Amino acid sequence: MASSKVRTSSFSRKVPAAPTSSIPGLKYGPNGTIFLSSGIPDLDKILGGGFHLGSLVMIMEDTEAPHHMLLLRTFMSQGLIHNQPVLYASPSKNPRAFLGTLPATLVSKDDKSLKSDAEQKDLRIAWQYKKYLGENKPPIEERDGKVEYCNEFDLRKPIEKHLIAGNRVECVSLLDCSSLAGIRDSCSKFLSQLPRYDGNITSAGRIAIQSFCAPQCEYYDKEWDMLSFIRSIKSMVRSSNAVAFITFPASLVSPSVSKRWQHLADTLLAVKAIPDEDKELATLLTGYQDMLGLLSIHKVARFNTQVPVILDATTYSMKLQKRRSLVLECLNQAPVDGSSGSSYGTSGGCSSSLNTGGLDF
Amino acid sequence: MADAVCRVLRDGALEGEHATSLTIYDSVDSPFGPVVFDYIFTHLSSFISSGKSQSRGIVLVAFSRSPSFTSELLRNRGIDIGTSHEWLRVLDCYTDPLGWKERIKDHGAIKTPLTEASDNVSLCKDVRNLNHLFSLILTLGKGLVEDGKNRFAVAIDSLSEMVRYASLSSVACLLSNLRSHAQVSSIFWLLHSDLHDTKAVASFEYMSSMVANVKPLTTENIDNFSLLEQNYKRGHFHASLKRRNGRVRVMREEFFIDNSLIKFTSMVAAGENAVAQSLVPKVQFNLQLSDKERNDRAKVVLPFEHQETGKSVQIYDGRKSGKHESIVVPVEEVKKHEGSGRGEIIYFRDSDDEMPDSDEDPDDDLDI
Repeated sequence: MASSKVRTSSFSRKVPAAPTSSIPGLKYGPNGTIFLSSGIPDLDKILGGGFHLGSLVMIMEDTEAPHHMLLLRTFMSQGLIHNQPVLYASPSKNPRAFLGTLPATLVSKDDKSLKSDAEQKDLRIAWQYKKYLGENKPPIEERDGKVEYCNEFDLRKPIEKHLIAGNRVECVSLLDCSSLAGIRDSCSKFLSQLPRYDGNITSAGRIAIQSFCAPQCEYYDKEWDMLSFIRSIKSMVRSSNAVAFITFPASLVSPSVSKRWQHLADTLLAVKAIPDEDKELATLLTGYQDMLGLLSIHKVARFNTQVPVILDATTYSMKLQKRRSLVLECLNQAPVDGSSGSSYGTSGGCSSSLNTGGLDF
Repeated sequence: MADAVCRVLRDGALEGEHATSLTIYDSVDSPFGPVVFDYIFTHLSSFISSGKSQSRGIVLVAFSRSPSFTSELLRNRGIDIGTSHEWLRVLDCYTDPLGWKERIKDHGAIKTPLTEASDNVSLCKDVRNLNHLFSLILTLGKGLVEDGKNRFAVAIDSLSEMVRYASLSSVACLLSNLRSHAQVSSIFWLLHSDLHDTKAVASFEYMSSMVANVKPLTTENIDNFSLLEQNYKRGHFHASLKRRNGRVRVMREEFFIDNSLIKFTSMVAAGENAVAQSLVPKVQFNLQLSDKERNDRAKVVLPFEHQETGKSVQIYDGRKSGKHESIVVPVEEVKKHEGSGRGEIIYFRDSDDEMPDSDEDPDDDLDI
């Protein structure tokens, strides 16, 4: 991907400009990779652009909290907005009923007024800096009618009916098959319509599997079968233009099998519940009242490169902004204590929102 | 609080939600699971019979107790048995779970009738067929509340017994089907955690919105007889509730057994910090004060003259003399020392040759 821009000085960075994608919902990244959005803008930023096309994303559920459903919902809704085919499998008798709970995009009325305000004022008031930071947003998120790469979702509003009507979402119930062959066949059929060639991409697809090893499935005891299923999904997805998103409750499988699944994942996230009305946590973490749970990022996929991703922080708190949209905020992580075992993390006092970008305290 | 748990079961589930479900665990160290189960069952029954709960009826699937035990229990706790046919159905899986007595009766080996027929007790003769069991539970429940919007609760006495007869995934399937059924409002079951492997225990916890654990007071040193004896009368009751906002509420109580009645008392909170510590990473610098440090800090006398304590403070001003060193000074002595309490600067000259230069203006030396 050769750079086509003119160099203004001899000291400009030798970064080849990635071609902008003509297909909505896809973004070109470094090293010849293509990204799909996860549906949560903060998560896309943390992961470096989104989920890699052809990768296997696994979410470790917490048995005590349903936060993985939030991630699943935004993932599926984003795919529907971008007109990408979606395959959904879940351990319930009627998976199609879940589609009614997918969120719609957030229509924010504040954006236009913000822009005009900022342009008018020459003298900027420092304490309102958050307003003006919006101007520095990357040009990928274009407004005024163009399709955004990553939408913000309003979790209180259900998705428009026409997006889930018909057969746009293929639903499979994990209870139907005693062995995993049925699901594997559905997935391979779905992926066969999205093959990967070296040429241009026409569309990308998403596979979402919820609670893969739930105890009510008949194959629950067959751990090696489940492992080989995940491995085959990974290889199928790698050779097609799709992202597979699987959530599983890690504590329900034996530890060695759980470790194997975690190693198989290209991108591994974990959600964790937080206790309610816990006074200790309330003093340690600011914004405890608004927090839903914690999201940990254990592994980020890196394709076509040997350089690993080292994140500034691996644990983020999930919050609902204005009770509608999901944001991820950083919990400031302090160095690990070596000596005394009885001290707490007090630096949770400054929790910075990811939107501040370069402003670190 | 066990009462809080009962209230959550009473309130049931919202439209479109899965039924609230409770798992009660116990173990051989503190075998009071059945007592806790009875407590919750009787409380829920009293709510149902007085019409205060979302459920209009309750179906008890009895694997480990006979139906007559249940009616005795309700009678002892003061619940009106006469009206029980309106809100209670018992599915008797205790008397003849595998149908053996039926077969023996067919062969003529026994002549006495098996059980007295009762209008709210139904017999199940094949507990291995979980589909059949599921449909029986549903028919009993619908018979109680009739079709429509009315809901009923389900209580399973000893899921451990059920898991003996059928595979784990089929039991899990039954429970999830019950939970997702529109007419089931709440469901609770008892499980003996030491009879099953961790995977089974984890999968039942996964499917429940509340988990109650009956634990012994102490788990150490069973040679100490008095401690052991304590474990047979008292214990700890831990409950964790999954709330709708995605957070988990953890509660702890103590209980003691008195004539097969269980009484709950609140516990002295100790060791609450464990959860917070595990979630938030530790700091390298200890920025917290321990209690001793806090007390010591409070005792430090600050070097201000007016401390508003009513007595004048002796400030250490660098001079060692016996009068100044005592911290606690009686009031009469304080008045004598007031003069020396004020700060003074005493300048000792390095040598006597030095001219006193305080009167001179040093710039006078300059010849300009």
